[in-house]
Amino acid sequence: MKLLIIEDEKELSNSICAYLNSESFVCETAYDFNAAMEKISLYDYSCIILDINLPGGSGLEILKELKANDKPDGVLIISARNSLDDKIYGLRTGGDDYLAKPFHLSELTERVNAIIRRKTFGGKNIVRIDDLVLNIPEKTATVKGKLIVLTRMEYDLLLYFTGNKNRVISKGAIAEHLWGDEMDLTGNYDFLYTHIKNLRKKLMTAGCPDYIKSIYGLGYKFIV
Amino acid sequence: MKLFTRYSRINLLATVIVFLLSGIAFYFLLQYVLIAQVDEDLRIEQHEIENYAGKYHRLPEIITVKDQHIVYTAAGKNGGRKTFSTLMLRDGNKKEKELFRQLDFYLSTDTGWYRVTVSKSLEGTDDMLQSIVTITFITILLMLTITLLINRIVLKKLWKPFYEALTAMKSFELGKKGQPRFPATSIDEFNVMNDTLRQATEKAHQDYQNLKEFTENASHELQTPVAIIRSKLDVLIQDEHLSEPQSLTVQAAYEAIQRLSRLNQGLLLLTKIENGQFDDIASIDLAQKIKEKIIQFEEIFDAKQISITQRLDDSQAFSMNAELAEILLNNLFSNAIKYNFKGGNITVLLKKGSLEISNTGPLAPLDDARVFRRFGNIGQAGDGIGLGLAIVHQVAAFSGLTARYKYYDQQHHFLLTNN
Repeated sequence: MKLLIIEDEKELSNSICAYLNSESFVCETAYDFNAAMEKISLYDYSCIILDINLPGGSGLEILKELKANDKPDGVLIISARNSLDDKIYGLRTGGDDYLAKPFHLSELTERVNAIIRRKTFGGKNIVRIDDLVLNIPEKTATVKGKLIVLTRMEYDLLLYFTGNKNRVISKGAIAEHLWGDEMDLTGNYDFLYTHIKNLRKKLMTAGCPDYIKSIYGLGYKFIV
Repeated sequence: MKLFTRYSRINLLATVIVFLLSGIAFYFLLQYVLIAQVDEDLRIEQHEIENYAGKYHRLPEIITVKDQHIVYTAAGKNGGRKTFSTLMLRDGNKKEKELFRQLDFYLSTDTGWYRVTVSKSLEGTDDMLQSIVTITFITILLMLTITLLINRIVLKKLWKPFYEALTAMKSFELGKKGQPRFPATSIDEFNVMNDTLRQATEKAHQDYQNLKEFTENASHELQTPVAIIRSKLDVLIQDEHLSEPQSLTVQAAYEAIQRLSRLNQGLLLLTKIENGQFDDIASIDLAQKIKEKIIQFEEIFDAKQISITQRLDDSQAFSMNAELAEILLNNLFSNAIKYNFKGGNITVLLKKGSLEISNTGPLAPLDDARVFRRFGNIGQAGDGIGLGLAIVHQVAAFSGLTARYKYYDQQHHFLLTNN
């Protein structure tokens, strides 16, 4: 699947590419308005990661151009301007999702995955890892057809892990994903441990391998 | 004391003293003139008697005239020069003695020397003197009253621009839109004052704007490097060769960058609130929002074994911005969780026009003068970013609420009340 990253900060763009480049994603980059407009007119992308403030023009203009040409590309807006108005305006203009800077790359990946899943599979939106199947619209997890009873939080956690499989996710990124960034929990992630322990136990009881590995004190990795 | 009162007091005192002194001087002067007048009358009488005696060589008949007595006393020789004196005498058959002016002089007739005593009652002059003094004092009083009244009216009118400027300054608040308006006046002093005030407020406003812009720009500019650092760390931890000490180093960097990011967002938020960017006001069902928050943070309460006591009056709607209400509750709950201990308690009380969130906690009572200030609790309250309660205060102020802090029953109480 091809992704386009329209971001004028080269280092940030590089990080996003480095993180997303995997067996399933190929990243292309555009650093300014004109380069971006050229790329979107030439190619189709599964998802476009779009910064609003660009040299040469506004990212919203690019979004309008995409919509005017009826392009099917999913669009994730990333912006340093974190306000509800910007968010609403971006989504109204045709963005599929909005992520405020600074963000965790794992969060970005999860959002990109979600957009692509919605665009590609529509109603039959599922995630499959070996025998484990997550039904996104129904918010259920099954192993070999057998339902695993998960709390809302455990389900969210599992979905987040599967969207970032084989990558180390920091504890901060997980906490922020689960409770939002409005909650000031800096340096206090002890309660995460309980939830992850429970999720692991439930998955293994259902017959899954031990997917979740703790990486020192840093975070967790969902290994497939 | 008002300037006007002080001025009046000094003015009144000076006027009274001057009038009193001049009144006393006037009294004596008048008395002197009147007595001189009486003396003149007495001298005329003397002249008439002397004329008569010179012509007929005998004393004239005594004609009884009201308030005037003439007495002849045989003296045998010339008793000397004429003398004037003031003394008390009985007038005719009246009981009371009265004040008389008396002239004694000696006169030679055929029958020898006589001492002639002519006395004139001073009662009439006294009455006149009294009347004149009374009239004078009444005039003085009247004049004082009128001067005071005029002063009062005129001064009030003259000082009007001053009081208007004062009122304008009172309503002046940094950060609020609109400069104070100083009315034009024809008085130079007030014009100078108004110009100075105008310059000062404009300068203050300009400085404030610059500072605000600076904060906003700085925060915006900081977002990008923070985003880059964070993304680099996210990429770095993917390295499988990372050792445990290195991981711990990265973890510390993560936490620092997280704090920096929160701090920055806090500052941006404060600037936005000050700029009035949250002007979309709606009726907010706080009870519902609080319930949602409690569910959202359920796991955190469980993990810290914090029990929640809630008494929510459902019917209370607060008119405020929805996003700000969310931010307000997040900050209050964050605060109550963060500075709590394991097994502690959080109490949420929602009543008519007031919301109170109290929590147990290991911290000593906070300094309530500084508690809502930016970075006011740094050093007191551990690892917070120092903006949470400042944001609470700012949101409250913007939403027409007053934020208060109290400490009692070993609990920190944060109270928001409708103004």
